[in-house]
Amino acid sequence: MCGISGILHKNSSSERPAAVGAELVGMLESMTHRGRDSSGLTVAGQSAAGGLIVRVWTDDRAGAADVLARAEETVRRAGGVIVDRALRGEFLRLVVNYEGDVRRLAEDLLRTEGVEIHSIGEASEVVKDVGTPAEVDGRHGVGRLSGTHGIGHVRMATESRVDISHAHPFWAYPFPDVTVVHNGQLTNYHKLKRAYEDRGHRFQTENDSEIIAVYLADRLASGATLGCALESSLDDLDGTFTYLVSTKDGMGCAKDRWSAKPLVTMETDEVVAVASEEVALRRVFSDEIARREPQQSEVMTWLL
Amino acid sequence: MNRRLKDLASEGADVTVVNPGARHNTAVGLLHPCKIDIRGSVGYYSASLMDGPEVTIDGNAGWGLGENMMSGRIVLSRDAGASAASTIRGGEVFVGGNAGARAGISMKGGTLVVRGSAGFLTGFMMQKGRIIVCGDVGEAVGDSMYEGVIYVAGSIGSLGNDAVLEDVSEDELLDVWGTLESYGVEERPVFAKIVSGRRLYHLDSLERLEKSAI
Repeated sequence: MCGISGILHKNSSSERPAAVGAELVGMLESMTHRGRDSSGLTVAGQSAAGGLIVRVWTDDRAGAADVLARAEETVRRAGGVIVDRALRGEFLRLVVNYEGDVRRLAEDLLRTEGVEIHSIGEASEVVKDVGTPAEVDGRHGVGRLSGTHGIGHVRMATESRVDISHAHPFWAYPFPDVTVVHNGQLTNYHKLKRAYEDRGHRFQTENDSEIIAVYLADRLASGATLGCALESSLDDLDGTFTYLVSTKDGMGCAKDRWSAKPLVTMETDEVVAVASEEVALRRVFSDEIARREPQQSEVMTWLL
Repeated sequence: MNRRLKDLASEGADVTVVNPGARHNTAVGLLHPCKIDIRGSVGYYSASLMDGPEVTIDGNAGWGLGENMMSGRIVLSRDAGASAASTIRGGEVFVGGNAGARAGISMKGGTLVVRGSAGFLTGFMMQKGRIIVCGDVGEAVGDSMYEGVIYVAGSIGSLGNDAVLEDVSEDELLDVWGTLESYGVEERPVFAKIVSGRRLYHLDSLERLEKSAI
């Protein structure tokens, strides 16, 4: 069991951002009974002034300074100009002016010893760590991030280990700004993983949820719209799942054919919020407005 | 809050709950006749495992509303999540809006009324009782049901395994309309009736070995 949530402010922009980080932390904190192993969120619709927001991490705590210095050097060698830099322990956030291919930059970073990528985005970033949302907020200040929309996750680990790598969201390498959070279990994970690895896709973890991000990346690369990619996932992913995806321009959800994992939505003219439970939506909406529960094999998208 | 509700219920008090905040397990396990008025949405398993109380909820409910109720009455003004009234043995559950997937699964008695539509697998493995859906019902309705009856006024996504349609008698229709009237529903729709086809998992065949041993 895990908890997922998402929020999108319809009238916001990177110039007029909303307090998405604080809202997601509040929503996730209300669902810690669904998981306390790790927490994470994507805040999208940020302003990177035309650059890329690059978030990397290393599990080499003792050697973090050296590893992350190597990551910066990799970015420079790839042609990136670092215009902003924030180092927090083993976590590094860079804003990079970069004109090249994002896949190449990502591959260069992944070849850098000890470096793991959490996200690369033109307007979004992934922040994740072990612990509850409040603990992650305390360590990383994610509640201070603002933007247009975002998704979040609290994890109760069921099929892979508890660490920062296996926390959600997962970035859809190498697509900037595409990230996924998932509640459920995928039963054809190993089969799909082998097929995608044969086609050159990279996996950073052994978490079954990462396959959703890779799957969507593959579909988007073949020219599918987000809605089409979500629709086809209903047939191609096997198991129980409800997942959310955040892109540069919006977010979407997909629910499996068994309707086995919960999701409820509330929407006004200004904002739409989705979560595993209404108790999380109540952190955003105080009024008794209409609630909707997506049904089996249902896909929804919300675009700015 | 539930400890306090239990104390008040045992005294037969009328209780109002305000600002429930969609919290889970609200008013669970109440075993005495009493009236609970909840003003706002509730979370999972609310008013479940109860025997006797009348609970009104002005809002939505999460998964498992009224689960395992023995007797009593639940009146919900808005939508219910999945598995509303699952495994109830008696009493009545009224959902003023829509109900999610698996409404009334494994019911062993009682009545579930859905003013709106109900989702996927409504009445799955139902064993007794009535489900009345005034709107549409999703796919696989009545799948593997043993006994009981499901009335649907709107469209049927699909019949589940071994679920079949049967003619509705005038007396039955009057009885269903009477139930709706008791909840203030004035419409008099015509209902399709879904029952078990008795070709699957039916007690007569499943218990053959046990019967031969008696």
